[in-house]
Amino acid sequence: MKFVLALFSTLVIATASHAGDLSVSVRDAAGRPVKDAVVTVHPASGVPRGPIRFSWPLRMTQEDIQFDPYVLVVPVGGTVSFPNLDRVRHQVYSFSRGNRFEIELFGRDQTRTHTFASVGIAALGCNIHDQMLAYIRVVDTPFAGKTGANGDVSLSAVPAGGATLKVWHPRLAGRGNEGSRTITVTAAAGRQTFTGDFSARAAVR
Amino acid sequence: MTFKRLQTKLTVLYMGLFGITLLMVALAVITAVTNSARGVVRDELAASGEVYEQIWDSRSDQLRQGAAVLAQDYGFREALATGDEATVRSALDNLRKRQGVDGAMILATDGYLTSTGVSPVDAEIDVLWNGLDQAGVEAGVLTLEGQAYQAVAAPIMAPVLIGWVVFVERLDEVQMRNLESLSAIPLSASVMSRSSSGWGDGSGPQPMLRTAIEAGVASANAVPVTTRTEAGPAMVLAKALPNFDDNQPSVLVLTYPIAAAMKPYQPLFIALGVIALIGAAILAAGTYFLTRDITRPISVLDDAVQKLQQGTHVEVAVTSQDEIGRLAHSFNGMAGDIRDREARLTHMALHDQESGLPNRLWLEREASADVTAWVVLLGIERFEVMRNAIGYESMAQMMTALGSRLVALSNGEGVARIGAGALGLIVKAGDQDQALTIARHLCASAESPVTLSGTTVDVSLTAGVASCGPQNGGVDSPVDRAAIALDQARVSRQRASLFDPVAYGDPGDNLSLISNLMTALKNGDVWVAYQPKYDLRAGAINGAEALMRWRDPVRGFVSPDLFIGMAEETGQIRPLTEWVIRQAIKDQRVLAKAGYDVTLSVNVSGRLLSDESFAAFALSKVADAQAKLCFEITETAVIDNPTVALAIIDRFAAAGIAVSIDDYGSGLSSLAYLKQIRADELKIDKSFVLPLDTSARDGLLVKSTIDLAHSLGLKVTAEGVETATALALLQGMGCDLAQGYFIARPMPIADLIVRLGEPAVPVSAQREAPSSIRAA
Repeated sequence: MKFVLALFSTLVIATASHAGDLSVSVRDAAGRPVKDAVVTVHPASGVPRGPIRFSWPLRMTQEDIQFDPYVLVVPVGGTVSFPNLDRVRHQVYSFSRGNRFEIELFGRDQTRTHTFASVGIAALGCNIHDQMLAYIRVVDTPFAGKTGANGDVSLSAVPAGGATLKVWHPRLAGRGNEGSRTITVTAAAGRQTFTGDFSARAAVR
Repeated sequence: MTFKRLQTKLTVLYMGLFGITLLMVALAVITAVTNSARGVVRDELAASGEVYEQIWDSRSDQLRQGAAVLAQDYGFREALATGDEATVRSALDNLRKRQGVDGAMILATDGYLTSTGVSPVDAEIDVLWNGLDQAGVEAGVLTLEGQAYQAVAAPIMAPVLIGWVVFVERLDEVQMRNLESLSAIPLSASVMSRSSSGWGDGSGPQPMLRTAIEAGVASANAVPVTTRTEAGPAMVLAKALPNFDDNQPSVLVLTYPIAAAMKPYQPLFIALGVIALIGAAILAAGTYFLTRDITRPISVLDDAVQKLQQGTHVEVAVTSQDEIGRLAHSFNGMAGDIRDREARLTHMALHDQESGLPNRLWLEREASADVTAWVVLLGIERFEVMRNAIGYESMAQMMTALGSRLVALSNGEGVARIGAGALGLIVKAGDQDQALTIARHLCASAESPVTLSGTTVDVSLTAGVASCGPQNGGVDSPVDRAAIALDQARVSRQRASLFDPVAYGDPGDNLSLISNLMTALKNGDVWVAYQPKYDLRAGAINGAEALMRWRDPVRGFVSPDLFIGMAEETGQIRPLTEWVIRQAIKDQRVLAKAGYDVTLSVNVSGRLLSDESFAAFALSKVADAQAKLCFEITETAVIDNPTVALAIIDRFAAAGIAVSIDDYGSGLSSLAYLKQIRADELKIDKSFVLPLDTSARDGLLVKSTIDLAHSLGLKVTAEGVETATALALLQGMGCDLAQGYFIARPMPIADLIVRLGEPAVPVSAQREAPSSIRAA
């Protein structure tokens, strides 16, 4: 805690109205890197106006009777395509609040799309294949990303100043599988480390 | 344990052995049967446990499938996910009815419960929630409203877990009875849980089963155990069942009472008992009869030995050739030997070995048989003389010959040899005169000479007669009385004499006399009287003889002749004499104090003269007291050892003790005495002095004795001087001293002192009446 306070003071002193790269590292209680954690930053000054675009495609592939990727970050209002690469047909659904949808059976090489209008979580399942599970995180900030295998995610051009850092993961203990903290972003490249309990059950409706 | 009879002992022994064997067999059978029964029950319980486990699992699967059908239904999931409560509840109820389960619930991950069929309270929901969410239990026992339920949960994935469909089915009596009916044995099954009051099922706690249940809970592979229950010992198998509540484990308890397991074997046990009783009875009877045959000859022998012991002659019939037969044979031989020996001993006891005639004992028996009869003892006169003359053997022949002669004379009556020279027989007589006549006749008839080895020997017989009846006189045996009568006849020189108790006196009484005398010495009933001795030359009394006197409180005055004679014969004379010497020394001192110098004479038995220790006593006493004593040696007994006696007399003389020869002229005294004893004085016996007045012959004897003594240098004392004439005659004869009633009677020391103060010789010639008390 002292460390955090010290870090916080340093960040406040170094405040400037420039944008900087923020690197966030997510670790579990044992210090291991956590993959597929969605990190979002909401600057206190508000998010920039205009449509949000991410560097990754808004696509949830069904291949080998699995969703790919496991976690997909989608901007609010973004349309996600669901290409079926399997020979079998799938019936994708989500009962999640605000993002409820159902894509009727569609076959190989058929692509369906769905537009996610509300910020939140959509737990995706296949009505035919129980083992198929994926999460779509609908965000309202361009400063978002998910951690890789090394547990790190890098967010670029985050405006300096105060901001709210949020971490979501299907196994993260906490309300809505989410953890948040207030940070100060500096113009220079900053680094945040988030440590949490990743042994909980996904609580998605 | 001791048995009075061998038969009892054998019977009990065999019965005991059989009983032990039977007991061991019974134990083995019971143990085997019990173990087998327990084994069957154990296996059956284990099998039932397995069956129930399978039933449980299969039911769980069935329920799970039912729940899963609902949990995986898309429409249901959608309704649930979208919060369509009414649809959800209707779907749940619909499925519950279709599946026929007692209750169905949906527990959402947020803890919200929808239920149908059951109405759990919050605590129960918490238990279910914790079991599902925390412990991950999907099937197990769930207790709702105190009733155990089998509960199975199926997760609802949409697509992540949003809740569980839970189906519950009551674990009630019906289900338990169904399980019980599956078992081959009538066991009882129940599901129990642990609560604050211990282990129990719906009907209440079962504290007695606690150990068995906890053993089952602890072990993964539970085995049946034996434990006590309210209905007696039972085998119990407890199988742990999964439970949603970790703190409240559940078990399936299968119970089977041991009594029920043993029940089929009861007829076997009863049969075993009956067989054992019958066997024991047969064995007892068999042993009893068998041992009776064995022990009967022994009992017969036992009785015979007891009879033999009592003196009855018995003979045992020999019935067998075995050891007992031989024993009986030996017994008969032994009994015969004993009888013969006894007869021989009896004969020996009742017969004289030398002559072959019956003996005294025989005669005693005969005498005691008839109190009206008389015992006649015939004694051979001068028996010892004859025996010395003709020899012992001839004498024995003569006794035999006399015996047979008397047998012929008494018409075949038995004749016994009573002593060496006496024969005895029993005669019948009306009175004592007739008896005496018969005795005289027998003597006379038997007296004809006896021919021994061709030589004729004369025999003279004397008879003693006594009645066989009871008689006074201190002699109990009639034979003894006859023997005394024989002696009395000899003394009175009669041919035959009756027993005279008056003449016999009582020698037994004399013995007590001596012991009384010894007591009297201590008690002071004995005293010393002094009879003065008058010195004819000096004309004065200068001596006195010490004489013992005894007045017994019972007997009165006892004659010194009697008790001194008895004392000499029984050896008690020494303490008497010592006592007199002590008394004389004491009295002489009294006289000396009164101014009289008197020599005191003490009678000393010749018997004591050979007693060195007496001599030492007398010498030391006299020397210590410087006494002037004279020892008058009485001649009532022979001097045993003249050499020793003379040496002692010499020592007396050397010590200044005068020695006087007493009672000279009568009894055993002889010139040899005068020759041997170095005496100072001679005392002439009063039998010579008393008739001095009348008999000139006595006068001559006294005179010559005085002369003889004087010529030997001895002084002479005359005893029995009772008249003035005698005194004058003695004086004329030159006698030195005179003693007698004329001078003075024996008197106590006090009287003696008085007498010494009076004239030595009475002035008038007084004559005292003769008395039974005389000077010794």
